[in-house]
Amino acid sequence: MFEKILFATTGSPECDSAARVAFDMARQYGSQLTLFHVLGIPGKGDSNVVIDIRSGEEVDVDAEYIEGVAEELRTTYAKQLEALPGVTIEVGVGVPSREVLRMARTKDVDMIVLCGPAEGQQAGFYKRGVVGDTLRKVAKAARCPVLTVSRPSASFWGGFSNIVFATDFSKASESAFQFAKTVVQAVDGELHLFHCVDLSRFQSPIALTQDGIEAKLAEARRRLHHEYATQLGDFKRFTSEVWEGTPYVEIVKFARERQADLIVLAHHARDVDPDERPFGSTLEQVIVRASCPVVSVNRPDKLPQAAEA
Amino acid sequence: MPEGIFCNKKPINTEAELKALLSDTRGTKYYEEMLSLEVDREKLWATIQKTCKSRTQTWLDVCARCGLCADSCFLYLVNDCKPEQVPSYKIQSTLGEMVRRKGDVDNAFMRHAMEVAWSQCTCCNRCAMYCPHGIDMGVMMGYTRGLLYSQGFVPWELKIGAGMHRVYRAQMDVTTEDWVETCEWMAEEQQDDWPGLEIPVDKEDADIMYTCNAREPKHYPEDLAEAAILFHIAGENWTVPSEGWEQTSLSMFAGDWEACKLQVENVYAAIDRLKPKRVIGTECGHAHRATVIEGPYWAGRPDGQPPAPYIHYVQWVAEALRTGKLKIDPAKRIKQTVTYQDSCNYIRNWGLAETAREILTYLVEPGYLVEMTPNKEHNYCCGGGGGFNGIGKFRPQRNKALLTKRDQILATGAKLVIAPCHNCWDAIRDLEEEYHIHIDWSFLKPLLLKMVIIPDHLKPQDEEGDEE
Amino acid sequence: MYAFLTGPMLWLSFAICILGCAWRVYKYVKGLNWQLDRVAYGKYPDLAFKGAMKSIFHWLIPFASCSWRAKPVFAAAFFLLHIGLVIVPLFLYAHIMIVAERFGVSWPAMPDGLADILTILSILAGVFILLRRFALSEVRIITTRQDIMIMAISLAPLVTGFVAAHQSGDGNGWLLAHIITGEIWLIAVPFTKLSHAVLFFCSRAQIGIDFGVKRGGQRGSGIVW
Ligand code: HEM
Ligand code: HEM
Ligand code: SF4
Ligand code: SF4
Ligand code: SF4
Repeated sequence: MFEKILFATTGSPECDSAARVAFDMARQYGSQLTLFHVLGIPGKGDSNVVIDIRSGEEVDVDAEYIEGVAEELRTTYAKQLEALPGVTIEVGVGVPSREVLRMARTKDVDMIVLCGPAEGQQAGFYKRGVVGDTLRKVAKAARCPVLTVSRPSASFWGGFSNIVFATDFSKASESAFQFAKTVVQAVDGELHLFHCVDLSRFQSPIALTQDGIEAKLAEARRRLHHEYATQLGDFKRFTSEVWEGTPYVEIVKFARERQADLIVLAHHARDVDPDERPFGSTLEQVIVRASCPVVSVNRPDKLPQAAEA
Repeated sequence: MPEGIFCNKKPINTEAELKALLSDTRGTKYYEEMLSLEVDREKLWATIQKTCKSRTQTWLDVCARCGLCADSCFLYLVNDCKPEQVPSYKIQSTLGEMVRRKGDVDNAFMRHAMEVAWSQCTCCNRCAMYCPHGIDMGVMMGYTRGLLYSQGFVPWELKIGAGMHRVYRAQMDVTTEDWVETCEWMAEEQQDDWPGLEIPVDKEDADIMYTCNAREPKHYPEDLAEAAILFHIAGENWTVPSEGWEQTSLSMFAGDWEACKLQVENVYAAIDRLKPKRVIGTECGHAHRATVIEGPYWAGRPDGQPPAPYIHYVQWVAEALRTGKLKIDPAKRIKQTVTYQDSCNYIRNWGLAETAREILTYLVEPGYLVEMTPNKEHNYCCGGGGGFNGIGKFRPQRNKALLTKRDQILATGAKLVIAPCHNCWDAIRDLEEEYHIHIDWSFLKPLLLKMVIIPDHLKPQDEEGDEE
Repeated sequence: MYAFLTGPMLWLSFAICILGCAWRVYKYVKGLNWQLDRVAYGKYPDLAFKGAMKSIFHWLIPFASCSWRAKPVFAAAFFLLHIGLVIVPLFLYAHIMIVAERFGVSWPAMPDGLADILTILSILAGVFILLRRFALSEVRIITTRQDIMIMAISLAPLVTGFVAAHQSGDGNGWLLAHIITGEIWLIAVPFTKLSHAVLFFCSRAQIGIDFGVKRGGQRGSGIVW
């Protein structure tokens, strides 16, 4: 289902849960796995010095240093690598989001796995919050699905089975739905279609009356059914639900309630200017809070092919 | 050991040499070898006789030693008015001595001269405006760097930088294939948001040929995407050349005149090949200096002009705003205290002070722009110009130099600094990292993209299915 | 002695001064190189002329350049010194008389009283500038023996001329000293930094053209000195 997986990692303990998911998935689906570490932000004008992502220190990148980093990765993931031969290790220099996207493009991968920011560590060591930034940019621009794991509890034990698909009815959500559908059919799991009516977006008092909200909810239910459920054909193991509130909060609550082991959503089109949002985009918020892996899918280009898998 | 393996008088001409020098981390061995690098006195004197003509000679001779230039130099001021930082002293104790001694100088002298030429002058040319005789230390330091480079006394990073231009015709190892691939990539990445957006490569007879800084494709390709989006919105007929797209010149900072010529001729060849109506360079100061201001002379063009009209990005932006090709949503104008970093290279040395101000009238809500003092043609260098930013050996001096700009910015109370110059942008980023004054800094492109009104026909269809 | 000094020697020193200065200007202009200097000197005559004139005049007029305004005291001293060195001797009655005697050409002179005052101010300004050299560390570090020498050469005729004009009794000794120092002054001009009397115009014109045709003169307001 996922022929090539790119796992972007710093090799630090925060990436352990993501590593587990990446390795497990690669084993389960027979994927070609690439471990990729971007070791630094190019810094300091035209010099060769970069800022190490993990330490925030300046380091000189030369062949020796790169080999050292690769070796470190090999040690960190020694056990997994032994169990899964044929994994490639790559080390890059640059702005992490850019380099991950570049590598994904060069290798034409079907899935990118990222380590999510642990809660409280969102701002990161670096002023700009490299982790959140990477996540946001990769999720927005990647042509393939991007899977993020942030919670240690959110590990992946032998496959997904209980999948939440959260939609804002955008075009990108359609691709996300196709992904969710393929995966759920392949694993023969259960699918939960979900939409949250975003109350914070209604300015007019009329819309906020009980009747107004009811109307929205009804309309959303209709659309869930009409736009998605009808596409499921024979597949009957799905539920569909519409709540109201702040999307990321409700998505996380819903996923908990359904004991989801995977959340699928699009990079919310509404969050056009994440820089302006103090708490980051819906996607980011979901990732930070969810206790299971989160997949963001925006484009139809690299959806898994159910048939041949 | 007269010539070292790494540190010698030979420029870098092959990829192998480049890799070898790069492998000498931080130039440790390079600088060690420099301690015993011999000065070829005959050659030095011969070069001086050939190239030190009446302008430079007169500047050296006629200097009244009046010290008026002292206060004009930010490096003098920021270094607690150390007398050794007086511009006149800096040049007289280096180039002046070299000429007076007819090239008979030793290794220690040359190493000291190197330190002065690259860590005590950013070639910002401010002093030229304050000297009663019009003596321009920036120009003379540039010349001195050339002499030093020809003798092998050049900071490690800049020897590499000049080598990059010689090998790749770019300041970084970005090949033609890398570049073209990056263009495709960026066009593809924007397709969903901007249907019909293209980054046309090698289109002949376009209205605009766009050139940039290799750091953009290498590390910040979204800058290229942003340029493309803005041209797209403005409805420009534009192109990028597959070869000759790199506008910068670290060889200029290094004093490698031969490489400067190679580099700029590469760009001019693209102009000749594609015959665009005009060329627009990215938001970079020294790139403009290298390719538009000095370049024609390196390439031997007596009219001092590139083969086609060649403008800086701020000129295009001002024009696009003026003619309404780009329209700003007044509601989205900047409503926080903001200031503008004048880049020496195209403000003092190319007269765009008012052009930049014109842009600001569109982007900034009236009352929110607070100018630095001094500004416009009289601005101080950001602190990292002339290659200073990139030289590890002189980092402490550079960090000290940043204090000028830090204090200027603090005095404005601005939270955002608009800096349409790569070098200035870097310097301001570094000063934030070094001194934490809680400011933001930005090129024009991202700001424009936040504010520009997108014509309806360019909006993607069915962006959102959700109710409004 | 007196006859020799006011006769052949006077001619000789004038000739040396004038021809020497002309030679310096000639050499300067000839040594300009558009490619090495990276200035298209001849291609934009209008811009070049405008740039050169702006550049010279902003500096020739008191407080017309930013730099003069930034250093008002020094600027004042500078102009007082140069008025004494350039204007006063040109319009001095005694000097005009000598020229009139030899050539028969004459021009209006300034009142002696004014000349006295300007001479004294000029000497004081010269002394001030000299002291400033030692007082300010940024000037001290670039001061050489030559600078003190040329200040001495410049001021000597002023001092001697002033004393000669004002001393009561037999003034021959001072007058002689004045003429000798005056001739040294004249001869020194082309050979020392005093050549700036002409090279100032060359160098300022050059930077004016540089900014005028290349660095911004074609756009905006050009450089503001
Ligand atoms: C080289 C030929 C020169 C000759 C023959 C000459 C001659 C004279 C004479 C005859 C006087 C009048 C003295 C008196 O009234 O007893 C005089 C005064 C003076 N000269 Fe000269 N001079 C010469 C050069 C110069 C030069 C080069 C300077 C200027 C830098 C100069 C500055 C003065 C001044 C300032 C006075 C006194 C003015 C005053 O206070 O009234 N002279 N000179
Ligand atoms: C029209 C002609 C002249 C012009 C435009 C001119 C201009 C200048 C300038 C621009 C300076 C540098 C200012 C400074 O000190 O910062 C200077 C300095 C000086 N000039 Fe002239 N000058 C002229 C003629 C002369 C003459 C004829 C003499 C005397 C022989 C003279 C003696 C000096 C001296 C002694 C200084 C040095 C001041 C110092 O020590 O700082 N100048 N002049
Ligand atoms: S201001 Fe000009 S003349 Fe005066 S010391 Fe500086 S360089 Fe020399
Ligand atoms: S060019 Fe700039 S940095 Fe260099 S001496 Fe002049 S003022 Fe100082
Ligand atoms: S980096 Fe900018 S401010 Fe600094 S010298 Fe260059 S152009 Fe000037």
